[in-house]
Amino acid sequence: MQLPRFEYVRAASLDEGLAALAKHGADAKIMSGGSDLLVNMKMRLDTPRVLISLGGIAELQDIEELPDGVLRIGAGCRLTDVIAHPGVSARFPALRDAVAAVGSRHVRNIGTLGGNLCLETRCWYTNQSEDWRKARDGCFKTDREACHVIKTASRCHAINSSDTAPALIALDASVVLAGPAGRRTVKVLDFYRDDGVQHTILAPDELLVAILVPDDGRRAVFAKLAQRVGLDYAAGSFAASLRGPADAPEAVRLVLNAVGAAPKALTESERLLMASGLTDEAIEAAALGARQSLGEVTNLFTPSGFKRRLVKALIRDALVTLRDQTA
Amino acid sequence: MGKQLITLTVNGDEYELAVASHHTLLDVLRNQIGLTGTKRGCTAGSCGVCTVNGERGEAILSCLSLAVEWDGRSVTTIEGIRQGGELHPVQQAFLEYGAVQCGFCTPGVVMSAKALLDVTTSPSEDQINEALAGAICRCTGHIKIKKAVRAAAAVMRDNEARDDG
Repeated sequence: MQLPRFEYVRAASLDEGLAALAKHGADAKIMSGGSDLLVNMKMRLDTPRVLISLGGIAELQDIEELPDGVLRIGAGCRLTDVIAHPGVSARFPALRDAVAAVGSRHVRNIGTLGGNLCLETRCWYTNQSEDWRKARDGCFKTDREACHVIKTASRCHAINSSDTAPALIALDASVVLAGPAGRRTVKVLDFYRDDGVQHTILAPDELLVAILVPDDGRRAVFAKLAQRVGLDYAAGSFAASLRGPADAPEAVRLVLNAVGAAPKALTESERLLMASGLTDEAIEAAALGARQSLGEVTNLFTPSGFKRRLVKALIRDALVTLRDQTA
Repeated sequence: MGKQLITLTVNGDEYELAVASHHTLLDVLRNQIGLTGTKRGCTAGSCGVCTVNGERGEAILSCLSLAVEWDGRSVTTIEGIRQGGELHPVQQAFLEYGAVQCGFCTPGVVMSAKALLDVTTSPSEDQINEALAGAICRCTGHIKIKKAVRAAAAVMRDNEARDDG
């Protein structure tokens, strides 16, 4: 597959990037590493007139440990560099595990953390060759008000497969967004919208600049199941964090991804574990509750029944690991 | 959408090239420079046959790298890893262990293995698996490939010991 033609703009600074975005607006796409975007462009899922590359912006490629314990990761940091950073491995092993679960080593040498958070949603109907799509009706992602995966759907259910998103949400991380009016900081959970077409709150004139990971004493785990371990999108991914003793938690956060258009916070199951601690019974109930709370599960990449069973097993095993690490 | 002039160092040789913005590093290596050892496979990051080594020796998918982004940078391809006229230890080991079936994936797998062994000549089994997971042998010859990588690591360890001694 060859790339479609486009005008290439390389931003040397954040201001240049924002200016280029303001100028080209809806005609432009932002490229960080390109491992997701270029594939989508080759498949003609994206045909921007202008490609704005952020690869030359040094400010986006720093990892800093701030005095208040916050780890600040530039959005343009290669996934490989995030894994190699001593502060990430020592203080946030669940984040390291989640980053290491993305793609293959080859992909992680190109892809960036900001890029993985913005990863385009995917679905078996649309993520096909141009010829395949031409032979069929369009959908919410292209040119029709229809979903061919869930026929009754009134919106796009394409799946969010970011591995780093659930880990960062479990760690209560935030993202810093820069736009013409200045910067805003939002929790990673609030960065996402439950809509496969417009799956983040990033405005057309905004850039994702940095990820802030606070160190508030949480311990966390990340787990992923994929058909091909070494290089694949998740069939299900899950992250959990715990502050305080496992039998009397001060805070619990459970996040599931690759089941819908947005990462899903399992608030009911969190409450259950807060109330009774991470006992075997409570873990079982929390995993079952999560499975039951899934609602519409799309038949995407794996059968929905398999996905429901997978979710329960993934959550139960990860929570047992988290509890045993804590004990 | 005109072409852009870039300077690219490939295997130590500097090239000045006019490249189109939508051409990848793979396109330029194969079609403009004529180094066809680097193969075109899935072109979507799943197979690893287009693997080259970047400035830090890291495994890079040349099919997912825009050529214009490589202005002023250097890259090593399968054609550039011979040492003093002799095959690189990884190439030699692939020959000796028959780690080649149809040969299409071989350049990418060799460059992926070299990226690992340039960092450590005592890789664990997990490290070998991780380094090669993104480079697929379509003939499914991974057992011989891994034997060859372990043998190449041993040769490189011996070379290091000799150089140190």
